[in-house]
Amino acid sequence: MEQAWISGKPTALDAAITEAAKLIGASTRILITGLGTDVAGARAAIALAQRTGAVIDHMNSETVLRDLEVMRSSGVMMTTPTECHARADTLLLTGPMQGAARNQLLQGVIGNDQPKNGGQRRIIWLCPGRDLLKIADTIDATPIGRKEKDLPGLLATLRADIAGRSAGKTCVSAKQLRQISAILKQSRFGTAVWSSAELDPLIIEMLCGLVSDLNATTRFSGLPLAPEDNAIGVLHVCSWMTGLPMRSSFGGGFSQHDPWLFDGHRLVASGEVDCVVWISAYRNEPPPWRRALPTIALTAPGPAFAKPTHVHITVGRPGIDHSAVQHFAATGTLVAFAATQRSDMISVAEVITRIAAATQGPRGRSC
Amino acid sequence: MLTCIAGGHVIDPANHRDGQGDIWIRDGRIIDKPNNEPGATYDAAGKIVMAGAIDVHSHIAGWNVDTARLLLPEYQSAAARLRAGETSLLTKGWSALETGQLYATMGFTTVVEPAVSPHYALHAHLELVDTPIIDKATLAVLGNDDYLLGLLHDSESEQAIEDYVAWILEMSRSLGIKVVNAGGVAAFKDNVRAFSFDDVVPAFGLTSRRIVKALQRAVSKLGVPHPLHVHCNNLGLAGNFETALTTIAAAEELPLHLAHLQFYGYGKEGNRGFSSAAAQLAEAVNRKANVTIDVGQVMFGSTVTISLDVLRQFNARTQARPKKWLILDGDANGAGIVPYNYRRADFYNAVQWAVGLELFLLINDPWRVFFTTDHPNGAPFTSYPEIFALLMSRDLRAKWISELPAEAMAVTTLPSITREYSLHEIAIMTRAAPAKLLGLTDRGHLGPGAVGDVAVYDNLTDKARMFRAAALVFKDGDLVVRDGQVTHHRFGRALAVAPPRDRAIDRRMKDYYEERYGLSDEFVKVPDYALSRPEPFVFVPCR
Repeated sequence: MEQAWISGKPTALDAAITEAAKLIGASTRILITGLGTDVAGARAAIALAQRTGAVIDHMNSETVLRDLEVMRSSGVMMTTPTECHARADTLLLTGPMQGAARNQLLQGVIGNDQPKNGGQRRIIWLCPGRDLLKIADTIDATPIGRKEKDLPGLLATLRADIAGRSAGKTCVSAKQLRQISAILKQSRFGTAVWSSAELDPLIIEMLCGLVSDLNATTRFSGLPLAPEDNAIGVLHVCSWMTGLPMRSSFGGGFSQHDPWLFDGHRLVASGEVDCVVWISAYRNEPPPWRRALPTIALTAPGPAFAKPTHVHITVGRPGIDHSAVQHFAATGTLVAFAATQRSDMISVAEVITRIAAATQGPRGRSC
Repeated sequence: MLTCIAGGHVIDPANHRDGQGDIWIRDGRIIDKPNNEPGATYDAAGKIVMAGAIDVHSHIAGWNVDTARLLLPEYQSAAARLRAGETSLLTKGWSALETGQLYATMGFTTVVEPAVSPHYALHAHLELVDTPIIDKATLAVLGNDDYLLGLLHDSESEQAIEDYVAWILEMSRSLGIKVVNAGGVAAFKDNVRAFSFDDVVPAFGLTSRRIVKALQRAVSKLGVPHPLHVHCNNLGLAGNFETALTTIAAAEELPLHLAHLQFYGYGKEGNRGFSSAAAQLAEAVNRKANVTIDVGQVMFGSTVTISLDVLRQFNARTQARPKKWLILDGDANGAGIVPYNYRRADFYNAVQWAVGLELFLLINDPWRVFFTTDHPNGAPFTSYPEIFALLMSRDLRAKWISELPAEAMAVTTLPSITREYSLHEIAIMTRAAPAKLLGLTDRGHLGPGAVGDVAVYDNLTDKARMFRAAALVFKDGDLVVRDGQVTHHRFGRALAVAPPRDRAIDRRMKDYYEERYGLSDEFVKVPDYALSRPEPFVFVPCR
């Protein structure tokens, strides 16, 4: 099976690696992004970024940064999916929770049984959108409000009511609002659940504030559903290797973090980078921008891209083709997964290590 | 390859050595003087030669530490670097790489990460593997986990508890067991807001005392060299010295290690109802030979408190400086991260600073008091050199005291203490004693057979400068630091224990994880293949 291409033409893996190294050596400002990879791949990619003065970003940085912004602005209370599953007697679901988040919610957080501590679980769902009807027989949830656009007002009013402050009108009646407040305040261990991919950071902040306020009298916590492509795993690797999250630069001999300056999309659109290393080992995703830039793509097996990149190498899928450590959404921890269908497909970590070995000396010229 | 460190003043208390002499190293180990072999010689004339230092309690790796960094990106901004003092995290850098390098430049060669929740053990070891130069170890935290509390509630046998503790030690690759506010964190999940040694965890009907005693017995029976490492209830509260005294009494004659005792050194005297009770604590520790403590010294500046005492951190979050925090209601102990800034002008912080020093200076036996700041909770470990200087000079202490609020100093005994630590005592406290406390017979000394972990310091009157930048540091016989700069990157290993157990526990744990989590217990394991270095662990024998 073909594993490597240069400008769309199949080639030997070694030749592709050499070409990638040449490209990196000739570039002045590199963006390493996608970063859909396991811990070992992330380590190799970040080490390369530090050596070449590159910028690192992740395809799901936007989602991760929403929760991170709330945490580092005002603080959050969180729990683990396992603890929530075992203990929560009230779930406060917020927003439509579509896609992968929905699976995490149904399979992990809610699962097939009631909390282990013997209680009955109540589920309140704020602004579920139209989809609630589709899964109404899977979970027994009380919808409050419907459209996403009602969510900010609803959360603010609910928070005010819980704290005993007066509030204006919202999309639900005052009576219903008081009923919900009462349920939340009477919970023994409630958990607010949300998918950051869907919600504005200000909504997340209001929700986290509500959770914090509830802890004045009872126990309540928060559970953001994990974004995909090992975003949380990569986040922690970034933290221990650099002290910073994704959207950080290592140019100019020091590291700095800025969610706007080092947004991969912006850097590509503005022309501030002249080379992209795009990593997507879980899915055969091409880079999400239309602008053509010299790109080294490392992706899971799949059909060739409509617009071939300068270099493209197929890599093994973590936990499938090779063993891998990654964030496990079911537990909220880093977990080692043995390969389920071990193959000799090369891993992201190995490709990057070989590319790094083939590049010329230390760099870090960019500002 | 033979290496000779020649003509230095060797201070090796474990081997009763304190005078001029040579140290020989071959193949990573210290050896007796060889016969006429060629090799490399390092001139240590006029310098102080000790074994590499050992830190028994420092939060350097894992989910909590990573999350603390993410909470505080401003600690690493360029502007912050310009503003900050010399020793804070702000200027020194805060990554796994920098942790290893900074410790090595101060002559430290083994560091213990004391707070690993078992489900996060793999995470901690991944980060430790990326921490260069130093050897390391972790302590696994128990005491708020449902499984143990269930065993106690059901009056299961001591054997059942020992098997569980042994299983935890092996699967988490830890060197010992720590307990953090035993029962208090579990109680907090049931809305309990204060928890003392004889308070009851509602869901299980157990006291903290019962949990601590059970773990202490189990650790001792298993022959784990390191005693149960205890973070008591009521951390930080005025009057909590009583909690420490009660915990000491409860230990009876079994070995007990109390963590960061400074945070329990508070009485209620004086106008503000907050005073130092260090003298009472020191007196209790002096009387009880089975008790060891590490200090958890506070130093002034910006830092962050990282702790598994979720109840304490939840209550403390209102005092966060800056005003933000993270509280994790985790599977057992969880985590609490609260930034803080210890200020010289703050009465309470000044008392805290004094309490730590009082403990160092009033506890007589340097074999039983351990040198820590509970990094970063009292101060970043980069402040160690300043603390050495304070311990060794009463004049320096007097100068600091004169610049602190007089009413704070008045509720402590520090101004009247004249004792000054000698280099010999520093060597006991930071080398010989920690090795003994952790059951590590191959380090903390410079006798034949010891690992070639050696620190050579210029003998300066400015002790802070002396200890900040070692002249030479060897790790396993390799030169890694010269004149305070890392010269060679290499990687140490993690030390762990694996006491024998009845393998029936393995089946019981598998079943427990299936039943409670609906998951295989594989998710909590630390397989060698997951760590990127060969032979990442060294197993230390149990007694």
